[in-house]
Amino acid sequence: MENILTNLTQFLFEETSVAERAWLEVQAQSNALELMTAFVAAPRFISKKNVTYDSQVRENLISHLPGFQADGWNLVRLSRVWLLLHLESEPKEQFIKNIETLFDTAELNELVALYSALPLLPYPWEWLARATDAVRSNMGFVFDAISLKNPYPELYFPEAAWNQLVLKTIFNGKPIHWIYGLERRKNKELSISIFDFISERYAAGRKVPAQVWRLVGSFVEESTYPKLVQLFASKEKEEREAAALVCFESKNPQFRSLLSKYPELELSIQNGDLDWSKLESISE
Amino acid sequence: MCQNPNEPSKNPSHFESSNTTEEPTHRDLLWEEYQNLIEGMRFFDPHIHMVSRTTDDYQMMAKAGIVAIIEPAFWVGQPRTGLASFKDYYSSLVGWERFRSSQFGIKHYCTMGLNSREANNERLAEEVMEILPLFAYKEGVVGIGEIGFDDQTVLEEKYYRLQLELAKKAKLPVQIHTPHRDKKRGTERSMSIALEHGLDPSWVVVDHNNEETVKSVLDQGFWAAFTIYPFTKMGNERMVAVVEKYGSERIMINSSADWGISDPLAIPKTAALMKQRGIPSDVIRMVTYQNAIDAFSKSGQIDVADFEIEFQPDPNAKFHGNSILRGGQQPVISKNSLLIQ
Repeated sequence: MENILTNLTQFLFEETSVAERAWLEVQAQSNALELMTAFVAAPRFISKKNVTYDSQVRENLISHLPGFQADGWNLVRLSRVWLLLHLESEPKEQFIKNIETLFDTAELNELVALYSALPLLPYPWEWLARATDAVRSNMGFVFDAISLKNPYPELYFPEAAWNQLVLKTIFNGKPIHWIYGLERRKNKELSISIFDFISERYAAGRKVPAQVWRLVGSFVEESTYPKLVQLFASKEKEEREAAALVCFESKNPQFRSLLSKYPELELSIQNGDLDWSKLESISE
Repeated sequence: MCQNPNEPSKNPSHFESSNTTEEPTHRDLLWEEYQNLIEGMRFFDPHIHMVSRTTDDYQMMAKAGIVAIIEPAFWVGQPRTGLASFKDYYSSLVGWERFRSSQFGIKHYCTMGLNSREANNERLAEEVMEILPLFAYKEGVVGIGEIGFDDQTVLEEKYYRLQLELAKKAKLPVQIHTPHRDKKRGTERSMSIALEHGLDPSWVVVDHNNEETVKSVLDQGFWAAFTIYPFTKMGNERMVAVVEKYGSERIMINSSADWGISDPLAIPKTAALMKQRGIPSDVIRMVTYQNAIDAFSKSGQIDVADFEIEFQPDPNAKFHGNSILRGGQQPVISKNSLLIQ
């Protein structure tokens, strides 16, 4: 916790004015109720400017928690997360009650801050139900706060909940590469759901974002072969590239020989010119 | 509190007037007949309970020139039985209702408070007071209100005082609900307690005034708000007389429209009447618009640019993924159409 607070404090104070910093420092000394009130009242004392963020320097804002990012946050959101870290974590029951109260009374921006703070809070398993519930949410900003650029799901979500998160991100048309830990938590069950999803979309004459195929590459089976032939025949360059990458990742010789029919694509993968990152479109 | 429906209530509704000899008079006036009188005017209703109103009301209000409103937290018509109901109600004031209003081009603010009637349920009141600060400091909350007296009980006084302290601490204006019964004494008591707690009267709006209370409220430096509400509070002809007598300084008009028989167009109608009776436009503007803004701007939460600059609501906007528009509805439809498509 010390480490988290030190890093975050340094980052936050670089961004605040003298008056803002003074207000924050006073709040940090307060009791629980005052801290919770400060969490709510932050926009009355802190500007909403976006924090400038140099991803080169701040690759890991919290050293032992890779994936935690404050990129694109405004100062109020960052301050709120910082204030939460000052709540006394003992006794546990009281701490949990305080966080639950903040959730129960939160408006939209407060919810975003609360979900952003989950990977930093003590007793991380206690927030699992809230976090999976946020994935079900129709509130776009809340969904993003838990699902995108947040290390909490990768660390704590069981497989079924994780798979729901990924599927809903695809459904919502959001960039899946912003899900932290996407590669590490690929799994067979998820690939089956995604194959079904792709089939449904194709049956309806619709498309899927090309990069969705990255989640199925390691799990392709014989039955997928016709779909990949179809994908190679696509007019869209990105879809042909996705087909090539899937075949390249597959251990199945049938798929490798399919790829060899497209030597240019095969070569660009071997040269390192083509990988999944080239298919990441940032559409929101 | 009317928890047993068979017991006679100690809290008569708004329609039950203690003065039954008063005969209300009406004069039918169609919108077409008075709209030219208020053409180009902009109105701010600092007291209206939109949670009880319909989209028709919002449409008519926008058409009549109401650009911004304040929704005070109040009694929803029956006592709430648990803290969760309060949480949901308060959340709706800063959430869904604010969004719904914005869809009609009306800027929505609110005041937060534990109302006097429900202050009499001590167990629940204690719980509500614990979470109230978490709502009082939210964005767009322009005051602590509406608080004060109903039955003038000991518990009402206790929670009124506690909320005055909260207002001081949060640097928020106070919106006082004055009681329907024993109004004159209740109003004086409300003011003297506010002064006792060291509140600057220019931070306190005393609501639901009448001819009997207005002078003392103004003399002591408070804002005097008048509710144009049929049968029980002020009629707008009486309101014109008050403005003629006292001028426009620290006087404001509201509708308090709620779940009772009330009129969300009370302000534009009163403005039209004042215009008809020859009250100067700048006076009308003060009592129907500017004074409310000046009083509640002390919260630091009102930016007039949000409603003074003409804007079109985005019909495709959603609140938490939900829209007020069902199945491709348009926000503005012709009310004269026989076919409801």
